[in-house]
Amino acid sequence: MAKTKMNFFDRMQALDRRYIYLVVALAIILPLIIPFNSKTYVTEPVENIYKKIDSFSGRKDRAVLMCFSHDASTMAELFPMEVAILRHCFQRNVQVFTICFMPPAKPLMDFALQTAKEDYTVQSGVDYVNFGYKPYGIFLPIVLGMGDDISKAVETDDEGRIVSNLEIMKEIKNYNEMNLVVDFAASAAVQTWITYARARFGANVAAGVTAVMAADNFPYLQTGQLIGMLAGLKGAAEYEKLVDVFATHKEMVNGVETVVPRSFSKEILKESWIKLSDIKNPVYKTARTGMNAQTVAHIMIIVFIALGNIGYFVNKKKNEN
Amino acid sequence: MTFEAISNFIAAFFTLSIFSFLYKDNPFYKFAEAMFIGVSMGYAIPLVYNLTFIPFVYRPIFVEHNFWILIPALMGSLYIFRFSKNLGWLSRYPIVFGMAIVGMGVPMSMHAYVLVQVRTAMMPIDSINTFLIFLGTVTILLYFYFSKAHKGIYGKITNIGIWFMMVGFGASFGYTVMARISLLIGRIQFLMGDWLGLIK
Repeated sequence: MAKTKMNFFDRMQALDRRYIYLVVALAIILPLIIPFNSKTYVTEPVENIYKKIDSFSGRKDRAVLMCFSHDASTMAELFPMEVAILRHCFQRNVQVFTICFMPPAKPLMDFALQTAKEDYTVQSGVDYVNFGYKPYGIFLPIVLGMGDDISKAVETDDEGRIVSNLEIMKEIKNYNEMNLVVDFAASAAVQTWITYARARFGANVAAGVTAVMAADNFPYLQTGQLIGMLAGLKGAAEYEKLVDVFATHKEMVNGVETVVPRSFSKEILKESWIKLSDIKNPVYKTARTGMNAQTVAHIMIIVFIALGNIGYFVNKKKNEN
Repeated sequence: MTFEAISNFIAAFFTLSIFSFLYKDNPFYKFAEAMFIGVSMGYAIPLVYNLTFIPFVYRPIFVEHNFWILIPALMGSLYIFRFSKNLGWLSRYPIVFGMAIVGMGVPMSMHAYVLVQVRTAMMPIDSINTFLIFLGTVTILLYFYFSKAHKGIYGKITNIGIWFMMVGFGASFGYTVMARISLLIGRIQFLMGDWLGLIK
């Protein structure tokens, strides 16, 4: 039997999927090994979180609560944003509380704190406090209790200390002072904060979510129930850039490179260009190097989708003829 | 060899074993899969015991003598009767208690998920965005009104609703692709950076 001659599109449609895996793998590996500076555009929901946290700078009567609601499977997307926000807080002297309600989130929360405080001389109980793991069964009583008195709702921190005795709690009572809750989740966990902390106590709530969850949360951004959102690796890359451009901005002072933080400004942001190779600590640029690979991978996927569709229509026309 | 290098090597071995399934099913993949399930369970049980049972049940009752904790502890332990044919009905009591908490959330859920959303959808149409929100909300609501056949002018209006939904699904799918690629990037960053040290 004579073989039917296959054209380019026939061959593409019959291509073994393992070749596609190989191309996607190369599209990710090569940009990571040979890095380039893809431009990171900062969006308004990310700017809003940055500006809110920055407005707490140096204030003892303001604090940020970071709630870790994810496990290691989504660490690639959420961990860079957690480290970036912690760095911002430590650099700008913003008081931070951390908490989690899932057992697998506990080691990730500790790891994020350890990673972020490496370059800072911050003290537990004074500059930040880790409330630790609390069982999910008491999630709601804690969320509601924090509206009245955080010390009574949480009672003890991760080290077993009575929260009300800690120095950081001197001017912090409830959501009036702990004026921002950022929930990092791969689920709809942030909606619990919106339902209870926002609706009942008027707390400002922000989300750091995986890209899968981003589309679900846009309605809450539009209504103002979320003051901002970091969506996936892109959101993390945007926040990393804001921290580098403003919070850890470096200038030469008396011939010595010194960190001179500056206030947020759209004009400065527009003109800023940070070379990734100048950032020594790889953890501080994880999301941005990842976004280089993401850019190339997305282009590859778009090309595959276009080829698949063209092939489909070409074959359809050929069969009709 | 440092502890970090050994742990990175083990993690890299299991990552590559799982990735090997992309080529075809093989014993390395099966071994890694079984190991993952075993380690997950082995990790979860002592973690929950140390971080939940000890601080919230054992310590309050036996060290601090807060005996009222016995009531929720005993109620929670009734769940185990689900495995008994004769005493399975006892497990309904903690479920009933859980349902009461759900009831408590209804008013606030109505506020957060319905009232605020409806109020914001009723804003004056003073920009392209608010017009698009208005158009999308109305046409999608009309699409889900099934007491009238989707024909003629009404059918054309509901078609606009379908377009809005398709854009929504497209955005969700695009974000999903981005998320999956991000997870792959995370693993490859580990393999190329932490393990092989090729990322500078």
